[in-house]
Amino acid sequence: MSKEEDIIQELINKFGYLEGAVKVQRPRRILLEIDYKNFREVFAFAVKELKFGHFCTITGLDEQDNLSFIYHLAQDSGILFNLKTSVSKANPVLETVIPFFPGAEIYEREVVDLFGAKVVGLPAGNRYPLTDDWPAGQYPLRKDWKQH
Amino acid sequence: MHNSDKFNIPLGPQHPALKEPEGFSVALKGEKIMGMDIRLGYNHRGIEKACEERTYIQDLYLIERVCGICSHSHSTCFVQAVEEIAGVQVPKRALYIRTLIAELERVHSHLLWLGVAGHEIGFDTLLMYTWRDREIVMDILALLTGNRVNYGINTIGGVRRDISPKQIEEVYKGIKTLEERTRYYIEVATQETTIIKRLSGVGVLSREDALRLDAVGPTARASGVNRDVRRDDPYAAYAEIKFNVITDDHNDVYGRTVVRVKELMESYAIVKQCLKDLPEGPITVKVPRKIPAGEATSRYEAPRGEDLHYVKSNGTEKPERVKVRAPTLANIQAVKHMLKDRYLADMPIVIAAIDPCFSCTDRLVYLSHCEPPKGVKQSQKRDCFASLAMTSRFKNAKVMSWEALRTYSIEWHRVHGIDFSELNNTFRKRLEKR
Amino acid sequence: MLNSLFFILVFPGFLFVSFFGLVAEYVDRKIYARLQNRVGPPWFQTFADFIKLLGKEDIVPCEANARMFGLAPIFALSAVVTVFLYIPIWRYDAAFSFNGDIIMALYLLTIPTLAFFIGGWYSTSLFARLGSVRCVTQLFAYEVPLFMSILSAALLANSWSLRDIANFYSLRPAYCLFNLLGFAVSMVALLGKLEKAPFDIPEAETEIVAGAFTEYSGRLLALLRLAIDIEMVVGAALFVAVFFPFALALGAALGFIVFIIEVLAVVALLSLMRTVVARLRIDQMIDFCWKYLVPLALLQLLINLILKGVLV
Repeated sequence: MSKEEDIIQELINKFGYLEGAVKVQRPRRILLEIDYKNFREVFAFAVKELKFGHFCTITGLDEQDNLSFIYHLAQDSGILFNLKTSVSKANPVLETVIPFFPGAEIYEREVVDLFGAKVVGLPAGNRYPLTDDWPAGQYPLRKDWKQH
Repeated sequence: MHNSDKFNIPLGPQHPALKEPEGFSVALKGEKIMGMDIRLGYNHRGIEKACEERTYIQDLYLIERVCGICSHSHSTCFVQAVEEIAGVQVPKRALYIRTLIAELERVHSHLLWLGVAGHEIGFDTLLMYTWRDREIVMDILALLTGNRVNYGINTIGGVRRDISPKQIEEVYKGIKTLEERTRYYIEVATQETTIIKRLSGVGVLSREDALRLDAVGPTARASGVNRDVRRDDPYAAYAEIKFNVITDDHNDVYGRTVVRVKELMESYAIVKQCLKDLPEGPITVKVPRKIPAGEATSRYEAPRGEDLHYVKSNGTEKPERVKVRAPTLANIQAVKHMLKDRYLADMPIVIAAIDPCFSCTDRLVYLSHCEPPKGVKQSQKRDCFASLAMTSRFKNAKVMSWEALRTYSIEWHRVHGIDFSELNNTFRKRLEKR
Repeated sequence: MLNSLFFILVFPGFLFVSFFGLVAEYVDRKIYARLQNRVGPPWFQTFADFIKLLGKEDIVPCEANARMFGLAPIFALSAVVTVFLYIPIWRYDAAFSFNGDIIMALYLLTIPTLAFFIGGWYSTSLFARLGSVRCVTQLFAYEVPLFMSILSAALLANSWSLRDIANFYSLRPAYCLFNLLGFAVSMVALLGKLEKAPFDIPEAETEIVAGAFTEYSGRLLALLRLAIDIEMVVGAALFVAVFFPFALALGAALGFIVFIIEVLAVVALLSLMRTVVARLRIDQMIDFCWKYLVPLALLQLLINLILKGVLV
């Protein structure tokens, strides 16, 4: 069995409900789509037990009613674990992953500015990347946002 | 000065140490840095949003302009993701040419960095020498691709230009010179007393911290983190090429210098391997304009570290979403940590040591028109400057608009005997003639 | 009276030394450029820069103390020009001379640094203030070895007058060899005084923009730059007068030419030294001065004290 399949097997052994949700996109790429209510425990398991010790970034996606966020985690073996989760656009609340990765701060600020995610636990600080006088409630990477 | 208090000095958005606008506000006590505040985002150009409104081919050229130095990194990273979604098998020769250009780009970027590092610690001679030699690799790149930067060699499904045997000769020749010169720089950078004094023990980032803060590229490798996308997650032709991943355990700016100069030598070796093993065959395959729905994440070891692109397509000729994560964004977190309790004098070199590329870091979103935040009107802003001027000793001081300032300047020079109006008229006439 | 006025304003005073200073800056820049494999400026570049700056508008920051801000460059300039009058250049005689003028020359050479401090401090910009504090911090480090090594040469000559010292050594050229260590120490200290690499800490552009000069522009900046150029020439001329006054014995015309060449050689040496090093940090600079330069200067003093007992 390949390494990717090993990882998937471990995930399914631990969390039975992941059966079918996790797949290998191509060698060294694993994709898992998951409800936000289960996100935290799977994330913690991946980081602590599966040794995904490198946090690449968060990609935000606008999927009509939902905002999806892909957390890209990397392993030293070169495997990239894309953990995709969705929250409703009306109330896009995420919990911060800074306790796992202090370096995640800037990526979380980015999804706050560009997608309007609300990240709980994000410390006060400069915004990124938009200007300080950017009008409130304007999230440029949402699909319904149009340039003035 | 300010005996008891800390005081803040601004480094940036415009400052000689920074080649691009980024704001660092440093709290100093004497010469010591007590704390700092980083404000990024001044280079925000809206590339990610713009990508969604353009076709894949247009995006390729737009993405190439994310950064001037690692343009090939971004375009390759993007094109790999698109090819993965489209399920295209790129010809081998194209992969080798991509690898070749990638390593030449690494050479030019590292030489550039070495010069900048020299400048930041006040050693301009190193700057002049390395930048002189950087011209050699720039010329090679121009020879192979037609451009010194923003090579435009990639296309979806392969590369746009083939390499002739005559060009290969030229590359060998240039690389040979560069190898000799680089050996000399390794000697200078690792043995000159004042350089060592300024570099070693500065900007320390322990292995644990490098891992904790997700540092990438030479910054991480100089802290003993053995991580290189080229080896771990091979792309292009790297799976078939033998090379060493350079690591160092100095954990400081000196270590980062050593890693980069040694990587130069590795890059020369890779370039030679690419040229030697260059397979015959086509350089591109045809890819339909409409890319089937799907998503892909592509990683690439840019000169500054891991570059990550995420592309999602929706079956049309325009992507649904393009995400770019440049290496500097990953490393900028570590800078704050490195500068704790250091001296102001160390700041430029510590910032430079991650080889920051802020235009990579900030991308997306541009505005053609922006309302000021509620409560502050443009005119009010001007008024507070005016009142400041009135309270100062200069009672006749006034706040001018740009146009008025321009007129004032022209008038001032005319009074002092320098009159450009004649020149302006000449130019205007010339323009009208056209 | 008219004679003195000529000395002060024309030769070897203001006009001559300004011209010489700009030429020396050209030599410095050209050599620096050639050593860095660049083409370097054309011969008139320094003059063009100076004239261009003179033609620009002076901008005094609102917050600055305009009087001190404006006076600082003039202080600096007049101090360094005065020193030149006391340096014997083409005969055994300087334009002016008295016993003890070497002490005065050394102290006048400190004035520019203080003037930079005052100018930077009163311009109230943060960068300028940081630069001024660095100026003065650095002053305490290089001044001691500089004074000690120059005065130990004076000690051997048994005089506090520059004219007599120059006389003494030009009659006994071999004695100059004893002072080589002192010369080396003072060359390094002079780099600190002129704020050139590795001691360009007060105007480290990548850290604090232009240090004390950040807010200066136009005529005032032109004067400041002229003062620095003249300081370089005067420093070099002082070294020539104290350490290698061979020109004096050669007669007026030839002696003058040799003197100029010697000064430019010292300037060239300074540019060579600044080409091959990186900028130190202020703490490293002070460490270096007190740990290495001062003991070496003390050694020179000791050597000269012993020699004085043996030879004279």
